[in-house]
Amino acid sequence: MAALMVGAFYNPHLGGELAVATGIDHLAMADPPAPTDPHWPVIKQRYTLLLHDYLGQLSEPLDERSIQRARSLADLYRSPWVAEHFQCLHTEDGAYNLNYVFPPLYTEEFLDRFVRNATALKTRLDQPLVMENIPGFFDVKASQMPEPVWLRRFFETTGVGFLLDLPHVWLEAHYHDMAPERWLAEFPLEHVVELHVAGVEQDADLEGPWIAPAEPSNEMLDFMAHAVERCPTAKAVTFDAFSPSLSGDVLFRSVERIREAL
Amino acid sequence: MSDRGLQDQVIRALADAPYRASPEWRRRALADPERVERYARFLARHFYYERIVHFFKYSRALARITGRRPEAVLRRPAFEALLPAIVLGSRESAQAVARLVAEYVSENDAGIPYMQDLLRYEQTMMVVEAGPRVWRETGTGDRGKGTGRLPETVEGTVLLALMYDLPTVLPKLLQPWTEVPQAPQRPARLLIARSPHGRVAVARSDAAVAAVLELADGRRTLADLARAARVEPAVMEEMLRGLIDLGALRFSTGS
Repeated sequence: MAALMVGAFYNPHLGGELAVATGIDHLAMADPPAPTDPHWPVIKQRYTLLLHDYLGQLSEPLDERSIQRARSLADLYRSPWVAEHFQCLHTEDGAYNLNYVFPPLYTEEFLDRFVRNATALKTRLDQPLVMENIPGFFDVKASQMPEPVWLRRFFETTGVGFLLDLPHVWLEAHYHDMAPERWLAEFPLEHVVELHVAGVEQDADLEGPWIAPAEPSNEMLDFMAHAVERCPTAKAVTFDAFSPSLSGDVLFRSVERIREAL
Repeated sequence: MSDRGLQDQVIRALADAPYRASPEWRRRALADPERVERYARFLARHFYYERIVHFFKYSRALARITGRRPEAVLRRPAFEALLPAIVLGSRESAQAVARLVAEYVSENDAGIPYMQDLLRYEQTMMVVEAGPRVWRETGTGDRGKGTGRLPETVEGTVLLALMYDLPTVLPKLLQPWTEVPQAPQRPARLLIARSPHGRVAVARSDAAVAAVLELADGRRTLADLARAARVEPAVMEEMLRGLIDLGALRFSTGS
């Protein structure tokens, strides 16, 4: 396996620190740079940048406007790959919107939709497409197959890369009373291009852990090391935290600890 | 029902609290109701946290003087009481949440003279942003700028009359300051509108713009509007183009 890049998300409020930081190989871009961001020129020049914006939900085909936006951002960042999520968060008529990543039903119909629309998007991009797994807090009875089976069929049919979000796997295992390593073993790890690692914190509404802009625990870092050994084509590990409340200390210490754990 | 239709039911149940409590949803028994309720509450707090932090950012910048961080309302009993009626993205829910924020922040205005204007402005921004949006173009061209069609004011567009000239002070509030930046006490009229894709825009307004927005009902022609606003047709055409770009006007598709 080639040396893994280790990076984080570009958090504009930490732009000054990131502009002079060392030990960070890449930055994932969740939003386009603000026109007034004084650090953007240095950030763009110093880092490998990964496009990780909201492009659209692939349960429907992306419209031309969204495709052109994706192409233009990938070009601006010179991104080695383009990321999207396995998400279906607004209704087809646009009337209801969760404003938060939410997985589709794992059914034949949705598999067909995602395969068709991801394949169409892939042909319009100049960079490879990677897709990220999204956690479910509850199971929906209409699903027809386990998520890892659905994902495997998607990746085998499309040739798209896998962005493996480890806290998402960890949370699903937690809420199903399973060992995370056992649940992870079900996923198509041979397609992984990038891994996400982050912290989790107790949430009062969920009465349990959920993703948070926090340092990964030692347990999460051990889980990451376990996963990386099983992802022979992985190229990058990203500390997945993007929030105005994220401190520089947490970001830099997390990247350092990820690097040490690999 | 298709799987896509079922997914829409799940999304609606998470977004729409009254629907979540309805027999129609409960009969479907698609998921553990307790888990769905917990996740829906998590999503509601996340949804309004993002909007409060964004639209009340100026009040937030003043919190070190007022002691009132706008997002604090999300953990107060008044917000908990709203949860059974909340519909994420609806104008009514946006109004209810924005009102809570304004009431909470105004409990201590710290003697800032333009505080009430500022809160009205921030509330309006949050409410204008609400409502269904276009997520993808359908390619039918029904939102084009075709000539010969009749302009109408987009629902939700607001003209806000203020006692203080807020636009002069807003950028200063987000810069470092030691003394609270002051706004000149002179009337200002602002137009706040939303594009079909959900982008909220603000522009200074005048009597001509106000007249156009009041009269553009999808039945009057450009010439009618020019006469009413007392401007030349060429000027009116330019004005309409600007208002359409802001999202305040659209061309009627007819019936």
